[in-house]
Amino acid sequence: MTTRLQAAVPYLICLAAAAVLWWLTGQITFDARPGQIGPTFWPRVAIGLMAAAAAVEAVRKLAALAPDRETKGIGEALEGGEEDDEADAPRVPALLYAGMALTLAYAVLVTTLGFVLATFLYLAAFMYLGRFRDHAVVWTTAVLGTLLFALVFLKIVYVSLPRGTAPFDAVTEFVLGLFRFI
Amino acid sequence: MLELVSQLGGGLVNCLAPLNLLALVLGIVVGLLVGVLPGLTLVMGVILVLPFTYKMDVTASIILLTAMYVSGTYGGAFTSILFRIPGEPIHVPLLWDGYAMARAGKPAKALGWTLVAALVGGVVSWIIMVLLTKPVAGFALRFSTPEYFAIVVFGLASVIALGRGALANAFIALALGLLIASVGTDATYGSYRFTFGLPLLADGIEFLVVMVGAYGVGEVLTRLERGFASKPIQTVADARTELPTLSEIGEVKGMLLRSSLLGNIVGIVPGAGATIASFVSYGVESQFGRRKSAMGSGIAEGIVAPQSAATASVGGALIPLLALGLPGSGATAVILGAFMLHGIQPGPQVLVTSAAMVYTIFASLLLGVLLMCVLGYFAIRPLVRILDFPEAIVSAFVMILCFVGALSIRGNITDLWLMTGFGLLGYLFERFRFPIAPLVLGVILGPIAEESFMNAMISFGNDWTVFFTRPISGTIMAITALTLLLPVIAGVRQRRVADAQRRGHGTGAAKHG
Repeated sequence: MTTRLQAAVPYLICLAAAAVLWWLTGQITFDARPGQIGPTFWPRVAIGLMAAAAAVEAVRKLAALAPDRETKGIGEALEGGEEDDEADAPRVPALLYAGMALTLAYAVLVTTLGFVLATFLYLAAFMYLGRFRDHAVVWTTAVLGTLLFALVFLKIVYVSLPRGTAPFDAVTEFVLGLFRFI
Repeated sequence: MLELVSQLGGGLVNCLAPLNLLALVLGIVVGLLVGVLPGLTLVMGVILVLPFTYKMDVTASIILLTAMYVSGTYGGAFTSILFRIPGEPIHVPLLWDGYAMARAGKPAKALGWTLVAALVGGVVSWIIMVLLTKPVAGFALRFSTPEYFAIVVFGLASVIALGRGALANAFIALALGLLIASVGTDATYGSYRFTFGLPLLADGIEFLVVMVGAYGVGEVLTRLERGFASKPIQTVADARTELPTLSEIGEVKGMLLRSSLLGNIVGIVPGAGATIASFVSYGVESQFGRRKSAMGSGIAEGIVAPQSAATASVGGALIPLLALGLPGSGATAVILGAFMLHGIQPGPQVLVTSAAMVYTIFASLLLGVLLMCVLGYFAIRPLVRILDFPEAIVSAFVMILCFVGALSIRGNITDLWLMTGFGLLGYLFERFRFPIAPLVLGVILGPIAEESFMNAMISFGNDWTVFFTRPISGTIMAITALTLLLPVIAGVRQRRVADAQRRGHGTGAAKHG
């Protein structure tokens, strides 16, 4: 029963989300006009579709119907059992969590540190996280990669990227200073 | 016809302008590299290049992205044949005959067949694209809101029916995509939906943020969890191309043309991109081909069928994008995004208002196919050397490009947060086998579907039968219903076959017992 429940969890979460979203559509304010279906109609169609599909699948998982009775897309039948070459490798959740944390940290810190410094730190940290241990290559690649990104996006393409707050903005200014003559 | 040739000539001249030519060459090279690298999918590659196009001219941007799209269908063939590593799912069928031919001591010949297939597939689909786009756009000018709604529903239905994994998961992904698309200010009533008081959400969620997150960050996180454990690469022993002789090509010319046409038709169908084209073409050859019994043993037909169809699907996929403004695949969705970022809405009018640009894109695709083959012939060795790059380094750069992509869409940090969130969602989708394509196409096509539905309701007095009673929309709706029935019928057939086999085994076992 525990296995069945585990298999049904994603669909039960979808059902709960659908209920919350349906309630949220009730909070949408608009100037109701007679004879018009209103702005809540379309999201409710989508929520209904999600809830119906999730309910069917949750019941299937809880009742442990045979997996070969499940209707699948044509692509599944065509591609058969061809799996990615990494599919056999064991999962390492710690790597995933660290990757997520690193990515969230980048999103949080990029406005403070600035694009240049945050990118340099992220590149180096991510390479180590990906189990690459050639220190010279890691740090050289991080420096060169950061300079390349800064040159392309801050100098050539000129994308509006965070420059950082004091004192970290000095790093951005220093790197941009290097490109002054390009 | 003369007008068409003259416009194509003008397009060719435009295409040879230095910036456009540079974009073309870069697109072909980067597309080939993306195809070679197993960690980078074709859609991801096109997405990652998008930030570089913001300051470019619209024509050069589209040339760059289209060139990547077409060469991405070819690059992965090298690694499939030489190392048994499909750079893209498109090239999985090449493992069966391409790798088998290489193992039989003829890798150069296998690569030569791939080149011929990509060339013929690309040229055939280019001809069809040039001839069909204008008539399709002309026909689409007769469409009203019910027809547009029906076409979009057909697109969404085919994405579900032709996808991978459980149909219920695809429906959930699609519904989620439609909901994400409904965030922001409602176009008809002007009311805020799911904005939670955040000003940025009032403008809605950019579909590129969803695409970059779900395809880019989600894929990297999935591979990171496995510790970037790609198979080690052997030394390249015979990385050169040996073209087949004309008489050898003559022997397979019929199937080459058939596979190219099939790939083009599959490409036109929304949701069925190069991967489906490649598998369908291989499947058709296995069932009806002249040498069907030898398929899988390393014969030319097993290489030519999937490769020509995959490359031919590109021209097919560009027809609905340019003529109707509807992207049918992830890559064409990014190209649509590039158009829209430059203030151009593809569709029936674009051939009238921006004819010069469209014909330049047409000409660039032909040049791109030719250039791709030339590069494929001479540059295999350096191209496959990219596999020596550690995946951790490539992935770190991919992540930064994803961040830049998100930050540069509206220049707002909230988009980076949203992209990170969609990256986690993309990972969860991969983890629990929910398809990403319906989510993304739901986000892209959702607003078009809602707008045409709402306008139809207002115009036809809330009469929903209008979608079924008007000739064109009714026909499209009927095709949509059939498309949705396809997986159900295929499932029933498969179960019957499996049951029959089980009964056969049971009888056999009983007899043996």
